[in-house]
Amino acid sequence: MWDELRRRLGYFWRRKNFDSELDEEIRFHLDTRLDELMQAGLSDREARLQARREFGRQGPVREDSRTAWQFRLVEDLMADLRYAGRAIRRNPAFAAAAVLSLALGIGANLAIFSLTMEFLFSRPSVHDPESLAYVILGGGSNAAPEQYRFLKDAHAFEGLAGMNPETETNWRNGDNTYRLWGTRVTDNFFDVTGTPVAKGRPIHAGDQREAVLSDQFWRGRLGGDPNILGRGLVFDGQLYTVAGILPPDHRTLIGFGFSPDLYLTIDPSTAGNETTVMLYARLPAQMTRQAAYSHLLALCGDLDKIFPRTEYKWSNNTEIRGVTGLDRLKLLYGMPIAPFFGMLTTVVGLILLIACANVASLLLARAASRQHELAVRQSIGASRGRIIRQLLAESLLLAILGTVAGLLLNFALAGLANRIQPPLPVPVRLHIQPDWRLLSYAIGLATASTLLCGLMPAMRATTRDVQAALKLGERSVAARLGFRRVLVVAQLTVSVVLLLTGFLFLRNLSLSNSLSPGFDIHHTVWAYVRLVPERYSSKDPAESKSKIERLANRAVEQLRGLPGVESAATAAIVPLNDNVKIGNDIRVDAHSDAQHPLYTANWIGPDYLKTMGIPLLAGREFLATDRQGAPLVVILNQSMAHVLFGDRNPVGHTLRFHDDPPETVVGVAKNSKYFSLGEDDLPAVYWPDAQSSRAAVNLNFMLRTQHPESILKEVNNALGAIDATAAIDVKPMNRALGLALLPSRAGAALLGSMGALGLLLAALGLYGVLTYSVARRIREIGIRVALGAEPATVGYLVLRSSLALAGAGLALGGVLGYFAAGPLAMFLVPELSPHDPAIFAGVFATLLLVAIAATLSPTIRALRIDPVVALRYE
Amino acid sequence: MHGYAIARRIKETSGDALIVEEGSLYPALNRMLVKGWLTAKWGISENNRKARFYQLTPEGRAVLRQEEKQFQSLVNAIFQVMHSA
Repeated sequence: MWDELRRRLGYFWRRKNFDSELDEEIRFHLDTRLDELMQAGLSDREARLQARREFGRQGPVREDSRTAWQFRLVEDLMADLRYAGRAIRRNPAFAAAAVLSLALGIGANLAIFSLTMEFLFSRPSVHDPESLAYVILGGGSNAAPEQYRFLKDAHAFEGLAGMNPETETNWRNGDNTYRLWGTRVTDNFFDVTGTPVAKGRPIHAGDQREAVLSDQFWRGRLGGDPNILGRGLVFDGQLYTVAGILPPDHRTLIGFGFSPDLYLTIDPSTAGNETTVMLYARLPAQMTRQAAYSHLLALCGDLDKIFPRTEYKWSNNTEIRGVTGLDRLKLLYGMPIAPFFGMLTTVVGLILLIACANVASLLLARAASRQHELAVRQSIGASRGRIIRQLLAESLLLAILGTVAGLLLNFALAGLANRIQPPLPVPVRLHIQPDWRLLSYAIGLATASTLLCGLMPAMRATTRDVQAALKLGERSVAARLGFRRVLVVAQLTVSVVLLLTGFLFLRNLSLSNSLSPGFDIHHTVWAYVRLVPERYSSKDPAESKSKIERLANRAVEQLRGLPGVESAATAAIVPLNDNVKIGNDIRVDAHSDAQHPLYTANWIGPDYLKTMGIPLLAGREFLATDRQGAPLVVILNQSMAHVLFGDRNPVGHTLRFHDDPPETVVGVAKNSKYFSLGEDDLPAVYWPDAQSSRAAVNLNFMLRTQHPESILKEVNNALGAIDATAAIDVKPMNRALGLALLPSRAGAALLGSMGALGLLLAALGLYGVLTYSVARRIREIGIRVALGAEPATVGYLVLRSSLALAGAGLALGGVLGYFAAGPLAMFLVPELSPHDPAIFAGVFATLLLVAIAATLSPTIRALRIDPVVALRYE
Repeated sequence: MHGYAIARRIKETSGDALIVEEGSLYPALNRMLVKGWLTAKWGISENNRKARFYQLTPEGRAVLRQEEKQFQSLVNAIFQVMHSA
């Protein structure tokens, strides 16, 4: 079989020679017969005639000989495509409309596909990601240094490395200190994962105080200094040597576009929290993940002996996870990001359907006008299948052109997306690059579009009843409009769904913007300070705590003294930018039975509630006297008070959290938002920072002022004066909400534009069909006008038919939309119901307007026609 | 042999009982070339003209034997029916 293929391919190359060779062979045949006949006594002329007569007709001989060699289908396809090309050149307007529709539909699909692939499923830049695994020990995302060392020394795997991506680092450059996002790694990280570098060398086992910079950091902040390798940079007060630079398209093991500025070694001087690491293991060649898991469980038994834990064993919630594909999505912990992309893909698929319906409608119109010609072809002997294949070749050509245009659109959009830096607390950058996955998807889309657009028109154009078609005569037949009407109604239905989605997300955005977070964002300034860990850490955690506390107190005093500042307070966590969820046993007063709510917490300084504009419903705020050694106190929010105390006033009662000593409730604060603007009410507690043992080097200072923008610089200077080595970031609170609003903004932007795109395409489709339907009725209109009908009556007549179409589309769309909108609730703020009647009304109104607008132009044109001309119109 | 010779040989050997329709000769030869049962080479004929010579390949020979066997059994079957009547 393969030999035959090879031989046929050989013919393909020698096509031209084949014909002349066959000529020569036939000539030889005739000449030899000629000689024979002449020898038998015939004259030259007679011999020639006889020889030729005996041979028969040469045409079929050549044709059949050639056909024996050809790939029938390929030859046919080439011929069909050439024919289609000529047809398209003759109808440039039609071709432009079709290609544009397909380009938009396919381009949008390719763009969302690239985005989804890169964001959710990017392959980390490591060697052989399939044999690398993320090890979760005892349910913790990170492991402490002791456990890491134990597992590493036990040689459980071929290699075990650790990474902590949640580290910030202060970079001192001259007089300025910048806050960077670094990833701390064990010295063997690059060796175990096989992460490549573009320049220099990676961090090797045994290295100390080495750094590998990202390409963006090197080019952006260091100006692409060619002599950077081997130089020293000061991070967190220590001198690090630059070992290498990562490639520009480096993708981390975390994925989702996470893009740290640099990788640093974990050193003895690295502050406490940052030495816990996520464990990444290189599995030996033959070991499956199952086997690795069993191996690990055995080691957990050893861990239980050496590092015993009271509540649970090390093997609880231990897991071995892959680092690519679906496994990595588990890192999202239930954030509806994957469903969001699923919804995007569906929406963009709907747009493609609308675009295909447009093209199908155009093809139907064209096919109708060719029915006579095609009937003639069928009567000569073309099989129905052959003609259908030829018509499909036309839609194939359109689909190919549309796909190429769509790919170009996709590249442009991808280039834009790669440059966007969303306002997230961690640096996120996308590297969308075209690859074979995109190409296969594009080919798949092209094929699907071809069939969707072309099959129905092709089948309708070639009829079984050839006689009837032939009788129709040569001029354009009054084609039945029926199916095109169905297509338009379908388009309108889908548009309803698209518009609904778009409107919902736009309304969601406007609601999100106006949602009160429960605290004042217009009169608040947030100053974030990251201290250099070295200067404030010491062997005794209490000592570091008091050092930091002294600095914080001095800072708050200074800030309070600034002109324009009404009050200032510290906070461990800034709401809507970061947060913790805790579940704990809480016992009220002396009761022995506990409640177990899930709540969020914050460690604040005095005046916090006043500064943030959170109303105090009962009791008091923390005071300076609520400090170490003083009685323990706590403030609850409304929800927490309700959960623990019902309707009673909690002030004065005591609470016991887990095994901690009892704390007195001194105040109740009004509810506010903690994680996201759209969340339901959450119980929360506030503790005085002074009474906790937290010694974090990340400090947040909140300031209350009437004019936030005007005091930013002074705040910066004041804090800088207190500690010149700290990284400082001051901004008004309403700018900090970028993260909280990101989902609503992204959703509105994406779905709003898609709704608009879908509507545009459907409007084009509607316009096309209405123009055609009016054109068909020109005679009728002419007669009516000639008989004395008012233009208004005629106009109403035309309008009525288009409104009927629109009405059908809206009715179906409304029903479909009702069901489709239900699942969208997970992306919207609770105040907005996906079945909001106002939104539905808005969608209907918009589509009606569009329908009327689409009818207007053809109607007016029809009315302007001279009745005499119209009457003669065929 | 070249194409003309093949046709003439069949005609002569069968005593004019089998005449190859020339219109189907060359298409058939080409089909056998595609299938790999023949190979072809240009050469000089006995009357000093350029002609294309065909030759059976081993595969072609095998197919020929197969066809011959099948034809033989067909003929035998027909004989059987006729002689048993």
